[in-house]
Amino acid sequence: MNDSPIIQARGVAKRFGDFEALVTLDLEVRKGQCVGLLGPNGAGKSTFIGCLYGVVARTGGDLEVFGLDPAKQARDIKRRIGVVPQENALDDGLTVLENMRIYASFSELSRKTADPRIAELLSYMMLEAKRDATIKTLSGGMKRRLAFVRALLADPELLILDEPTTGLDPSVRHLLWEKVIELRDKGKTVLVTTHYMHEAEVLCDQIVILDRGKVVGTGAPRELIEREAPGFVGIFQPHTDEAIKPHLDPSWVLFHQGRQCCVRAPRFDDLLELQRASGHTALQMRPANLEDVYLKLTGSELNDDE
Amino acid sequence: MNDRLPSLRLSWQVVVRNWMVYRKDFLANISPTLADPALILGSLGMGLSGYVGRIDDMSYAQFLAPGMIATTALFTAFFESSYGFYVRMTFESVFKAMLTTPIGVNEVVTGEFMWVFVRAGLMGLGVSLVLLVLGLLPNPLAILICPLIAGILALPCAAIGLLASAWVRNINQFQTVYSFLIAPIFYLSGVFFPVPSNSFLGHLVQWSPFYHGVKLIQFSVWGKVDWSAALWHAGLLGFFTIALCGLSFRFIGRKLTT
Repeated sequence: MNDSPIIQARGVAKRFGDFEALVTLDLEVRKGQCVGLLGPNGAGKSTFIGCLYGVVARTGGDLEVFGLDPAKQARDIKRRIGVVPQENALDDGLTVLENMRIYASFSELSRKTADPRIAELLSYMMLEAKRDATIKTLSGGMKRRLAFVRALLADPELLILDEPTTGLDPSVRHLLWEKVIELRDKGKTVLVTTHYMHEAEVLCDQIVILDRGKVVGTGAPRELIEREAPGFVGIFQPHTDEAIKPHLDPSWVLFHQGRQCCVRAPRFDDLLELQRASGHTALQMRPANLEDVYLKLTGSELNDDE
Repeated sequence: MNDRLPSLRLSWQVVVRNWMVYRKDFLANISPTLADPALILGSLGMGLSGYVGRIDDMSYAQFLAPGMIATTALFTAFFESSYGFYVRMTFESVFKAMLTTPIGVNEVVTGEFMWVFVRAGLMGLGVSLVLLVLGLLPNPLAILICPLIAGILALPCAAIGLLASAWVRNINQFQTVYSFLIAPIFYLSGVFFPVPSNSFLGHLVQWSPFYHGVKLIQFSVWGKVDWSAALWHAGLLGFFTIALCGLSFRFIGRKLTT
């Protein structure tokens, strides 16, 4: 029983009129895993998250969260999840404590249970000094940490994070990563959407890459890199294609990131050799990472509708 | 199945939330709903009394008085569920966060109705007390009945606001709803002049839940009850309440979930 997945999606689809936000999505999240949903804006990440707790009604496929169907048992699911939505949606005029008390009551916690829990979580997120401050006096990073506190109030089994660190400075981002890893290590299951590939690499055991409503790649971060974009990447100045091309081995890959000309080769030495032969020094040489996989699978160009 | 009690409890938490936000700006929030009726009574009631003569053996101020309780209910309900709800829904994303908790769309909408009921009831009580002090409440029992009628009357008025929230494409369009629906309802539903029963207007206002609320409040404030008429008005007010509230559950549901 313990081994049954927390989230099980098979062919989940969502259609808005003529537009297919989700064409087909298969995904499995097991207890204690941290799974990352990556994909360009409009790929269907938030639509899928909405399907998980019933605010988006899927138009096809099978979906179970804790073995329950979100279309029918949303409340039972919502009692066991905590969500950090894209917008914080905190009440600006109220204090930190008032906001958390309201949400504790929404999560059906009594005041007696809620208050110590709020105090504990505020200190966990290093906000205890802000308990009586109004929301409008908080910085963006503090508000985000408070959204985490809110999501954790009911001690959820599954934590859903929708772009948790977008727009935050690196120190807050690192703090939140640390907390997410801690929570996962304590046995929480985490589903996170992000545009930061590094974030996904740091946090996730499993990655699902979506593009235009379909899964285009899935696997552990290292596994995905080894499979889709193994080796080392050299990034050269724009307009160096012609100079570089004659020296490429057929097995190497030439591609572009923005205007920069990039080459992926199996060994680091290959790139050194390429520099020497072409007479162009690379701006950067590094092991291939998730970003290379992402750009390869979703197409490095912007979607037409972006 | 046996989800009704937790559901009601959650709806009540929506009321508590709204109250906590409301009380932060209590004076600014409460003053317009009290100022409007006071202004109408002061200017029209006192100002016109001498010119208008007597209506049903009452001064114009006495005639106008019960309508003020109904007016408070109408404006409290409409503005709360149009501008207020729309801002919560669109600009503050309140429901996006709320709906991640065990609260569902039905609890959100029920909570909004409960909130409007309580607020309009209390405002109705406040205005009744003012009328009492001004000597415009000949039937003191009305203090008990009018807040209840005001609360119920607020429900269909709030439903109109919620339906508008579901249908408008931007916040400015509420002005149109106000000008072409709420204002005519307000001016033509028997608050300012007795609606002749066999006129075109007399037939038209039967479709206005506000009219029926006004009549019921007038009956209780004046202490002159025509029971068969009261039953008719109560029945129609009940009908419009159920129909409009039902519709708003449906359309707000579609707005908050996809």
